[in-house]
Amino acid sequence: MEREVIQSVGFRNIKENGEITGFQFKIRLPYYRGVFLSQLRPGTLFIDGERIEKEDIIWNVKGEDFTVEQMKTDFQTHWDVTCPATLKVKKPGGLAQGYHDLKYGFCFTSSYMPPIIQAHLDPDKENMVFMPEFGHHVNERRMIIV
Amino acid sequence: MERRVKRGVAIYSYSGEYGRTMNLEDCFKDLRDMGATGIEILANSHIDSYPALTDEYVAEWMRLCTAYGVEPVEYGHWIDSRLYRNREISPQEAREKLVNDFQIAHRLGFRILRTKMGVINAELAPMENWREIIESVLPEAEKYDVVMCPEIHLTTVLSDRFVQDYVDFINETGTKNFGLNIDLSVFQNRFDVPGVVVFNPDCKHSQPEEIIPLLPYVKCIHAKFNKMDDDFNELTIPYPEILKILTDYGWEGYLLSEYEGEKKDVPGFVSHELRKQHVMMKRILGY
Repeated sequence: MEREVIQSVGFRNIKENGEITGFQFKIRLPYYRGVFLSQLRPGTLFIDGERIEKEDIIWNVKGEDFTVEQMKTDFQTHWDVTCPATLKVKKPGGLAQGYHDLKYGFCFTSSYMPPIIQAHLDPDKENMVFMPEFGHHVNERRMIIV
Repeated sequence: MERRVKRGVAIYSYSGEYGRTMNLEDCFKDLRDMGATGIEILANSHIDSYPALTDEYVAEWMRLCTAYGVEPVEYGHWIDSRLYRNREISPQEAREKLVNDFQIAHRLGFRILRTKMGVINAELAPMENWREIIESVLPEAEKYDVVMCPEIHLTTVLSDRFVQDYVDFINETGTKNFGLNIDLSVFQNRFDVPGVVVFNPDCKHSQPEEIIPLLPYVKCIHAKFNKMDDDFNELTIPYPEILKILTDYGWEGYLLSEYEGEKKDVPGFVSHELRKQHVMMKRILGY
């Protein structure tokens, strides 16, 4: 795994039945401990400035696909710190060869932190105080489609 | 000299490298190399199949403990009370998760559990129904021979009401399966040292002697450190006073190093700081 949250391995177009239907990328969890999916607060993706809502992104954790709605109530599936999740986005034709700018926000709850600190968790905005052990909410990276 | 106070490492310390530049075996190698003999893992961080446990993991775990001569000391786990958006975790759900953790810890050879409970305020007071939840799993804790220990951590101070509540709970129930983990951050009295990561500059702190009446309940200590100087002194926590109390009062158990300073993600940085801290502890303890 790379130090960057958005990993260079895993960024590619998705081909289904010979047709390119979208693209995917992988992210690692920047927190020091794994989380159950219900703890996650997925945010918005910007690909080359184009906005993609969280509802249009499928998370694949440990080989299984989840919608944002399914993740809300999943408190059994655990996303580990050593295993990146794959995020899939529908986009007929996929992304063109060359550079692409990704910006993606997500965060998570922690029951051992004072509720007041977590009351206004926003995956698309940074916390008031940056805690290295929790990572940034919003991560950006320029990556290449081959 | 009798070595009652032992040195170990909470591999949380390596979290800036874990999964990138260090794996589980690298943690064992590093801590053994500085003469530490005990390890703390975090279930949710260091067991990839969590909340399940695979036979492969158990076999690898046993191999590592044997190969490096390291004993499993403390197993960190959580009662994540805020797993849901619209309600707290139910006592029954908490119970199921706890018993699962007891079983994992027992299989891996841990007796002490750092049971981190959900909190309800800025002093980190535990969720209101903690007694009900803990009491309901005492028979299973006894069966699997584990001791649940809430971690007393900054911004809490030892004189906070709920610390006494834990002690009262132990005395009232007579249980041997509940104790305390004191994180030395409760004694942190400097917040102005360059390189120290500070979130609560106005934080209260406890005096070293306040730990004395609690010692019979303390199963494990998190040797929190924020900043070592090059002469092997920790600059934010009064280690000499604290360790002297532990030896004077005959406390027996592990000091588990937990690095909470800067540059955790710089490869090798934490390993170097840990060595400095272990030099300090060896010098103070005399062994």
